Amino acid sequence: MNNPTIMIKVRDLYKIYSIGENKVYALNGISFDVYKGEFIAIVGTSGSGKSTCLNMLAGLEKPSKGIIQIGQKRIDRMNERELVAFRRQNVGFIFQSYNLLGTMNAIENVAMPLMFRGLPEEERFRLARIYMKQIGILDQEKHMPNQMSGGQQQRVGIARALVIDPKIIFADEPTGNLDSHTTDDVLHLMQSIVREKNKTLIMVTHDPHIASFADRQIRVVDGKIVETIINPESPIEQQILKETGAEPFAEVHTADSDQVSGKL
Amino acid sequence: MRLSDLFKIAYTNLRRRRTRTLLTVLGVVIGTASIVVMLSLGLGMSDLLLKSYQNSGSLNMINVLNYGSSSQGDHALQLTDESIKSFESIPHVVGTSPALQVSVEAKSGAYSSSYEIIGVSQRFLQEIKLKSGSLPKPNQSTLSIVYGNTVVNTFYKNNDWEHPAKIDPDKDTIFYRFPEDTVSQQKSNGSDTSAAVNPLTNKKYLIDTAGVMKGGPDEYSDTSMYCFADIDTFKNFLRKIYKKNLVPNPALNKNGKPFRYYVYDTAYVFVDDMNNVTTVQKAISDQGYTAYSNMEWLEQAKQSMNIIQMVLGGIGAVSLLVAAIGIMNTMMMSIYERTKEIGVMKVLGCDMKDIRNMFLTESAIIGFFGGSFGVLISYLISFVINRLTAGSSSDLTMGLNGNISSIPPWLSGIAIVFAIFVGTLSGYFPSVRAMKLSPLQAIRNE
Repeated sequence: MNNPTIMIKVRDLYKIYSIGENKVYALNGISFDVYKGEFIAIVGTSGSGKSTCLNMLAGLEKPSKGIIQIGQKRIDRMNERELVAFRRQNVGFIFQSYNLLGTMNAIENVAMPLMFRGLPEEERFRLARIYMKQIGILDQEKHMPNQMSGGQQQRVGIARALVIDPKIIFADEPTGNLDSHTTDDVLHLMQSIVREKNKTLIMVTHDPHIASFADRQIRVVDGKIVETIINPESPIEQQILKETGAEPFAEVHTADSDQVSGKL
Repeated sequence: MRLSDLFKIAYTNLRRRRTRTLLTVLGVVIGTASIVVMLSLGLGMSDLLLKSYQNSGSLNMINVLNYGSSSQGDHALQLTDESIKSFESIPHVVGTSPALQVSVEAKSGAYSSSYEIIGVSQRFLQEIKLKSGSLPKPNQSTLSIVYGNTVVNTFYKNNDWEHPAKIDPDKDTIFYRFPEDTVSQQKSNGSDTSAAVNPLTNKKYLIDTAGVMKGGPDEYSDTSMYCFADIDTFKNFLRKIYKKNLVPNPALNKNGKPFRYYVYDTAYVFVDDMNNVTTVQKAISDQGYTAYSNMEWLEQAKQSMNIIQMVLGGIGAVSLLVAAIGIMNTMMMSIYERTKEIGVMKVLGCDMKDIRNMFLTESAIIGFFGGSFGVLISYLISFVINRLTAGSSSDLTMGLNGNISSIPPWLSGIAIVFAIFVGTLSGYFPSVRAMKLSPLQAIRNE
């Protein structure tokens, strides 16, 4: 493995919604780093701001203020056109409700992001088959989404996220619509992909059990990070600690004092 | 995104909502067909009009007149062989002809008639369509003439105007008498003879028949009531009768002597294309001559035709407008239904431009199919209209035979392109709307 490098840098991120006269702080100053190869879970109850955070990292929402740097690029400064192009090149997305296109069969769904890159069809299908085989759904190639179970659909969704060979994968409650058995299957799959392919994965969830699959958990309450939990058995976290001499940066506001106690 | 992918996606989505697509296409079919049929009626009618003018006379010929020049002295404008020749230097002029007109009296048995023999150039003669015989050759020693197709119908016995005789110039013998020339007449009478018609020479002439013009004895046209001869042959022939005076009523110079060259009242100018007639005609009238052509009439008729065509096309355009609104409605509906799908595509990195193009392609395809089927149906309707109006010379066909509705290939081509254009245009607003949809819609879980 290479030296750990910082993939995502978030500093003082705010998202403020104006509802009439009132201002609602969906995100109230968040700062953290994500290293390449980490599997991060952003945990929080509904309304905590965890989804808003993910949306901003993926460039789907504009921050009110703050810095988001992915690689060397400041995505908070990009316009919509640049953001779309950025996602096309670097970002895979896994949705809670799978969001497969009903008019396309499995392989066409997996190959869709490559279509947006203008690849010819044979090439798209060749790449799609590689990932579908790895995930074990190659036999469902010709099935339409409504002919597949939820777990199968989500696997198609994962293959679709992987097919562009992204630097970062975002997952918003990826197992929210699955039963517990399938949930574990899917999470193991995601875990192994991150470890084997050295991908960076950021997942949003409200479930502590699901979050425990991650290398590191970031707990968000009322738009602030209140806790980070590092999985001590995670190889990447051990390596980061060894190489940098410190745990990954995350600015934590303790719940009672609201005092900054960032670890460096 | 590749064009082939755009088409594939558009096609899939149109198929998914088959009924709605078909209904929208139907709207465009009706719109296109009504425009095309309406325009085809206008075009067909102006075609018929053009044909009727072509039947009555050549459309690329200009008549040049110069009445009254004889009294104005030497320096006045004169239509002479040289000045007529000089018209040929005007751009687009391909030929000229003087008109050497002489009134004659013709007698065949007990029947008699009077008409004019006009000496014209070979260029003019070539315009004549013959039913039988051949055109007179240039510069012959014996005169031969082409009979206009209605000339044969003008022979009467005594003053019995009710019963014209049918004379066949090929079989019947026709004797001709030429008028006496005005100059020698004045000399002999000494004074005023202007009121009297030129008396005729006593000598009778037989003139060879070269041919007869095409057309029945009742089909009148600009040339049907004259006989035509080659000008040089005719000049030779007249010189034998009138000697130095050249023609029966020569133009006189200031001293009251006839000119020693030919001065014509009328000349013809031929233009390469009927569209250039107006410009050439203007150039000639600018020189001081009176000029007229059938084009003037045609232009006026065309103008009123254009108005009719515009009104008809406008009626058709209304139904296409309704169809365009139909397309817009369909695309709007489709975008509302596919909000989530569009959002997912945007999240997965589909360019905004590609999303817009996806919807534009869909509406363009609707336009294309609507336009194509519309044109097909127009041909069908046009065929039926022509079938129904054929033979019956109703008011619509203005008593002319031919197709009242005609769809030239360019019209069907333009119709399809226009339908695609209308489709794309009406898809534009919805597609921009789709392009601007927030990708957040997709990942919001409902």
